[in-house]
Amino acid sequence: MSNKAISEQPKRRRISRRQFLIAAGGVGAALAVGVPMVGVPFARLKLAQFIENTGGPPGGFKAPPMAWFEISPDNRVRVFIPKVEMGQGIHTALAQIAAEELDVRWEQIEVRQAATGQNLDDPVGTSASNSITSLYAILRQVGATVRAMLLAEAARQTGRPLADLTTRDGVVLAAGPALSLTYGEIVSKAQGWKLPDPLPKLKPDSELRTIGQPLPRVDLRAKVLGQAVFGIDVRLPGMAHGAVAHPPTLEGKLKRAGPGQARTLPGVIAVVIEDDFAGVVAERRDQAYAALAALELEWEPGRAWQQAELEALVTVGRGNGVTIQDEGDAGAALKAGGVNRQPITAEYRTPFAYQAHLEPQTAVADVRADGVTVYASTQAAVRVRGHVAKALGRDEKDVVVQPAFLGGGFGHKVLTTAAVEAARLSKAAGRPVQIVWNRADDFTQGFLRPMTHHVLAGTVGADGRIAAMEHRQASGAVALPFLPAIAGAVLGSDFGAWRGAMIPYNVADKRTVAWVAKLPVPTGWWRGLGLLANAFALESFMDELAYAAKLDPLEFRLRNAPAGPLGERMRAALNAAAKASGWGSAPPAGRARGIACTADVGTVVAAVAEVAVEAGQIRVHRMTAAVDAGRIINPDGATAQVQGNIIMGLSSALVEEATVKDGSLAALNFGAYRILTMAAAPQTEVILLDGGPEPRGMGEPPIAPIAPAVANAVYALTGQRLRRLPLRVG
Amino acid sequence: MQLSVNGKSYTVDAGQDRMLLWVLRDELGLTGAKFGCGIGQCGSCTVLIDGQPARSCLTPLSTVAGKAIRTLEGLAQTAADGSVKLHPVQQAFMDEQVHQCGYCQGGQMLTAAALLAVNPKPTEAEIVAAMDGIYCRCGTYVRIKAAVGKAAEIMAQEGAK
Repeated sequence: MSNKAISEQPKRRRISRRQFLIAAGGVGAALAVGVPMVGVPFARLKLAQFIENTGGPPGGFKAPPMAWFEISPDNRVRVFIPKVEMGQGIHTALAQIAAEELDVRWEQIEVRQAATGQNLDDPVGTSASNSITSLYAILRQVGATVRAMLLAEAARQTGRPLADLTTRDGVVLAAGPALSLTYGEIVSKAQGWKLPDPLPKLKPDSELRTIGQPLPRVDLRAKVLGQAVFGIDVRLPGMAHGAVAHPPTLEGKLKRAGPGQARTLPGVIAVVIEDDFAGVVAERRDQAYAALAALELEWEPGRAWQQAELEALVTVGRGNGVTIQDEGDAGAALKAGGVNRQPITAEYRTPFAYQAHLEPQTAVADVRADGVTVYASTQAAVRVRGHVAKALGRDEKDVVVQPAFLGGGFGHKVLTTAAVEAARLSKAAGRPVQIVWNRADDFTQGFLRPMTHHVLAGTVGADGRIAAMEHRQASGAVALPFLPAIAGAVLGSDFGAWRGAMIPYNVADKRTVAWVAKLPVPTGWWRGLGLLANAFALESFMDELAYAAKLDPLEFRLRNAPAGPLGERMRAALNAAAKASGWGSAPPAGRARGIACTADVGTVVAAVAEVAVEAGQIRVHRMTAAVDAGRIINPDGATAQVQGNIIMGLSSALVEEATVKDGSLAALNFGAYRILTMAAAPQTEVILLDGGPEPRGMGEPPIAPIAPAVANAVYALTGQRLRRLPLRVG
Repeated sequence: MQLSVNGKSYTVDAGQDRMLLWVLRDELGLTGAKFGCGIGQCGSCTVLIDGQPARSCLTPLSTVAGKAIRTLEGLAQTAADGSVKLHPVQQAFMDEQVHQCGYCQGGQMLTAAALLAVNPKPTEAEIVAAMDGIYCRCGTYVRIKAAVGKAAEIMAQEGAK
């Protein structure tokens, strides 16, 4: 094997022997023994994995090869995970996959967060519900391959025929004469490693014993004891605290900056004023903020945008629309009309929303002559590395980014600003500097979920089937702000904004058209991207069509489900949610039910909401969700993701809304910006459906049907069709 | 001034108007209490002061002289041999696998512990009334409610022994 193969591009979702390489401390295929780790001499076993054919995330993991495991002489197994833990349980789930084929006891496994530069660089970051789908095949093959190598080495060390050996719980075993060697013992005496040829086969499904188990979260005990280190908890010797001036308005630009009295204030270490950057470093955070307030800053405020102006900008038909789905001739078919002659049309709107993770953007940077280390609460460590290197004028090779635990992310923690600020200040102060944004910074200096506008039209035939349907939607940008400037021109539309916008149902004539609105409000990633908004519009409108056709909304969806496997899965999810929620039976007095069904990143979700209106407020009493996310790695973790999506979906459905006033975002803290609290949390039931052998996304898809299920229930209860989030009854 | 935190006495050289949260985090190295909003709205910074939940981001040092402060780090009991006995609330949060990101959960667990100390058998409505002010953005509310009920059971069993 040569390193040349490393640069080959991903082609297929299959792993070949050529994708693996043993990269060890010595020459060739030797294994380095005795790499010190926390005082324990660990043998470092590096299993490399080439990027070609990996089925990895778009773009793939870059060379050099990955290093996944360390096996210690006392038989502990460390798994290095490139994806970050922000609450989604990904460290646990990925470790389960790795442990499965390696055949070790779960208790032997320790999970470590990989830093950049550890051969596990992940340019995609932790996002888009892709962690398990992109790493499932890789981690199984990695585990199986290491196990095979341990077996081969055990055969060499003992002189026993390979065929006589097997493994169990991290031990190589043989019968008569009995043999029992731990993986750690084998590693300690290993002289070399050979990549098996061909690569070992994976276990049959019937023998899986770690994958599919509701194993406890590996990070939980540390979090329960208050010992887990979140980004905000990073402490370095000599660490100082930084604060940076941010524009008070959307279009604000720093016109003039002077130190004022800042340098004379207690604890101040450095005042940094360069171009459009003004920041301070102090011994304590409160001193840093006092010094920041003492700077003399003059801002050019820019235009005093008002909410209504922005809403007008986000309007279907404004600018160039791009057709992203076009089957049959929706235009002609809509004109022809259906059972109700005139097509039904409706407009929907969704507001700006903050990600509102409770841990604000935070990072610590330690800029030294010999290198730069950044500890960050980040979903995109590789991106942080690039931006920090650029800001400092350093080579990327000099910068290491170590992600810590994230106190929530939801897409917003791909932002690199806090890390860059920490790096600039650390460079100036000659000390490690921590940046912890205050809440107003976090709400206003990153990016928001954009406002959206949707115009739907459809006709229904006498048979209760949708004859024609069209979804036209406008949105602020979601993905484009993170892509090279040319991407907008090349793509024409924003795939993030129209995620979930296409009509999945079996309609001969259907069309989806998308507009991107240029806004003064920075917009971007938010859990599920455009999914929540598009699903709200589409699945509310499906309900409108069902009532027009005088069909039960469940029956209407079953009847119009697409042909093929997707339709089967949608029907199964709809029926499961309906059954568990008591659909068709009378709800408790004063309540009604609504249903919605969505398909996203291969995952199908059906939800039923049971709602009442109490004291003029929508009260969601019960939520039932049936989810087909393919193979489930950890059913308890998967259930938790659905439960969390239900709450976050309800939060958007019922209370969340960010607005602009006089050129600034109006809500600068919680309270002014509401999120759902425990009192509004309904009884929930989650059903995980058997979805076949391939895992699919779980972090975002279940958020999709929540808001429309609630809106549809409100309609069933009150006859009011609410077409705007957050939902408010009149 | 002297601060009593988790049964230990600390001498803190800090202004009386400094907020307890930052003294805990930045002077004493106790990072279990988190910063979320700085205005007492989200509850991530919750600690117990003489057994009562309080928002440490809005608690000036001058108000806690002579009072017993408990943070998440002080919820479990550590024996002389170093072994750790989880508080029933911590055990219940483990059993129910409550945490997602975990950032708010220190505030959640301390608030639950304070509730159960005065109301060992709370109804669901009483749990919600006590805990509604602690935000959880990951959406673990359903599990928190279950875990507080479970903690009450554990405490009842331990009391019966």
